[in-house]
This record gives sequence, C-alpha cells and structure tokens, in this order.
Amino acid sequence: MLFSKHSRTDEFEEVALPHLRELYRTAVRLLGDGAKAEDVVQETYLQAWKSFARFEPGTNCRAWLFKILVNTIHHHRRNWFNLRRVPESEEILERTAASTAPVPEGIAREEILRALDGLPADYRAAVLLADVEEFSYKEIAGLLDIPIGTVMSRLSRGRKLLREQLSELARSYGIGEGGQDAAREGRV
Amino acid sequence: MNGGPRLDAACEKVRGHLDSYLSRELPEATNGEVLRHLERCAHCAAELETRARVRAQLQAAVRSAPVPGGLEAKVRRAVRGEVARPRTGLWAVAAAAAVIVCVVLVSRLRVESNPEEAILGKTSGRLAAVLNVGLRDHLHCAVFRKYSKLPVAASQMAADLGPGFAELVPLVQAKLPGDFVLIQGHRCSAGGRQYTHFIMAGGGKLVSVILTRKQPGESLSGGIHQAGVDRFQVVGFESHDYLAYVISDLEAQQNLQWAANLAPTLREFLAHAG
Repeated sequence: MLFSKHSRTDEFEEVALPHLRELYRTAVRLLGDGAKAEDVVQETYLQAWKSFARFEPGTNCRAWLFKILVNTIHHHRRNWFNLRRVPESEEILERTAASTAPVPEGIAREEILRALDGLPADYRAAVLLADVEEFSYKEIAGLLDIPIGTVMSRLSRGRKLLREQLSELARSYGIGEGGQDAAREGRV
Repeated sequence: MNGGPRLDAACEKVRGHLDSYLSRELPEATNGEVLRHLERCAHCAAELETRARVRAQLQAAVRSAPVPGGLEAKVRRAVRGEVARPRTGLWAVAAAAAVIVCVVLVSRLRVESNPEEAILGKTSGRLAAVLNVGLRDHLHCAVFRKYSKLPVAASQMAADLGPGFAELVPLVQAKLPGDFVLIQGHRCSAGGRQYTHFIMAGGGKLVSVILTRKQPGESLSGGIHQAGVDRFQVVGFESHDYLAYVISDLEAQQNLQWAANLAPTLREFLAHAG
C-alpha cells in the first residue's frame, strides 16, 4: 500500500482538481474576498487529501469537496472573525493617488454579484449551491447540515430577495421587466 | 411587483413552485399541475422565462469570476508537500510517522500551556498566517510580557530602536489620539524573528505598531487586511520590504482608524528605510 502512495496523489489530483474553479468561486461569494477564498480552497484540498483514504471511488467527489469547503469556511469564520480586505484601503495607502477607477467590464455582472453579495449569508449559500452549483435540495441539506425544509425556506427567501433587487436595478436602468440587455451581456 | 396582469389563486400557487420547477425538485403530481397551468397561462409562462433568465444571468456572473492563476499550482504543491517523505523504505516511514505523532503531541501540550500559542493556534490559512506574524509579537511582547506601563525615556527609546528607526518616534507620536501615550519603542524578537515595535497605552487599552521585514512567500498585497481573533483586532499591510501591523484590543473600527492614520506615515518612512 505504501508503495502506491505517489499514484494515490495523482489519483487525488485527477478526481479533485477539476473542481477547483467551482470551489473557488463559491468560496469567493461566501467569504466576499479573493485572498481568503484562496486560503480556504487550499485548506479544503489539504483536508480532502488527508481524508482521501476514506473516499470511495465512484461516489460524489464534488459533493464531498463542497462539504469540506463548507466546513472549512465555518471553521475559518469561527476563528478569524471579520477577516477581510479593507475596501477603501488603496485610498488610505496611496493618499496622493488620483482616483481613476476602471470602468468595470460587464457592468450587469458586477451588479448581479453585488445583489448576491448583499443577501444574508445563509440565504446566499443556499442560492449559490442550488442555482449556480446545481446541487439538489437534499444534497444542500447534507452540505449545510440543516433540514431540507430549512433549505427550501432559505432558497425561497433568498431567491425572492435577489429577484426584487434585480428588478429594482432593471428599473433604474430603464430596462423593461427582467432586463434583457443585462441577460444578453451576462451570457457572453 | 410587476403590477401588470391580474393573478388568481392558481397563479399565486404556481408561482410559489416555479423555482423548484426549474430545479426539477417538484414531486411528480405538483410538476404536472404546474405544467398544465403554464400551458394555459401566458403570464405565468412569461414569469417562468424571467426566472430562468435571472438564474442564467446569476450563473454566468458567478462563473465569470476568474480563478487566480497560481492557485492550482499552490494546491498541487500543498498536497505534494503533505506527502513528501523519505523514500528509504518501510522502517523510515514508520519512524517518520512516530516523529510526527510526537511533534503533534508536544505541540498540543505547548498550545495548552502557552497562552500566546493558544491564541495563535486558533488561526489558520495563508493570509491569517501573515497576520499572525504581527500578532505573535504583540502577544509576546506587549500582552504577556511583564514590563512597566510607564513611558520609557525618549533617549532610552532612541537607543532601543537603533538609529534606523529612532526617527519614527516623533512621527508616531504626532498621530496618537490625545488619551494615548507611547510607552515603548524598541527592537524585539519573537519566534526567531526581528521586529520594530511601538507600544501605546491609554484608557486601559494597548496598541502595538509593529514592523518586520517580509520573508519569502509572505505577502499582504492588495491593500489593508483586517481581522479579529480572540479579543484582538489586527490590521496588516505591506510596504516596500516590510509588513506593518496595528494590533490592539480596541474595537475593530477604532483599530482600523489607527491604521488609517498611521499608514501614510509608515509607508513614507519605510520607502526610505534600509
């Protein structure tokens, strides 16, 4: 068994690394910070590797990794609270620098992400896992360790809040119901 | 919200199911009900389209976030570092395992017996590790060390800081709120690392301003980072070859305000520091 350790690493990377992108983008949205998300994703992979011996080939690797991610984020939050990049920090550090904020590419996406980030954390997690990562309600209950009824109520409230914010936004843009321009841009 | 079409009770009921319908999470019977309603109700069919479109937009937005270039390589290195071990046969592996067990046991004991380590042990992650560099010195030198809380004489402070950093004393003092005094400024070491350390006290609170040279792999790039652990607030940023910290038992916002006041001075000074 010991002699096959190296190939076990290859095997781990082969099944686990394809999910890096999904784990990272979920971590970014849940933590609201890229650097923190990087830390948490690295920790997730280390934890996963440590318990890879218990992972059964053929079972749902993605759900297994997301479960570790959710636990890692939970752990992270419990220890370092409010670990974040201070939003106005560039201005503080470069007091003389003229403010020339770059025009964000794809403003619709920025706005959607802002609306998502504005949701209460519990709702945001449920909406991300269901509507972006497309886990089933039952899987989400397992990932978040909550009853399925709670998953459904968080989803229902989170989706409603998000819709309300986006429809406000569409109205402020003068876009008709739903915002077709934004939709077109968002699908690029 | 749309205000347009008149919705009857059937529409209201179906709309309550539309998201779950999109997620294919409805029981078969309910799914059938929704389908039949959608066939005859153009308003609800349009609402379904809107919701599907919002979901597609949300997916595209979240999925568009770029993954940092080096992350996969970092993960690979971390995982491979985790399995790096001598390849000298079974006994060596067994011996290495025994050493690891001992190290873990000893470090557990240390964590339990040492209050600094107990606090530092609560933190994890790369960013947290860099914030720990400053926190370690604050705990070691300002919090758990026994020393007089009366201000050290200016001449003593200048000697303790050495010629390179003595000039920072008036600059730091100029930024202090009225109820705080600079009680110490010195060079110190913790965990085998050298620090330049200013300790301020006022109203029962202790604030440290800590500078230390960056070591390979350490970075607080991208601005100011803030975090709390236990009862301490930590703000860290990097400047030239240094990591700079403001650490205290103040409220998070107050601690950040201190850092915001001091950051330009420290950066300007460090730009010319050797």
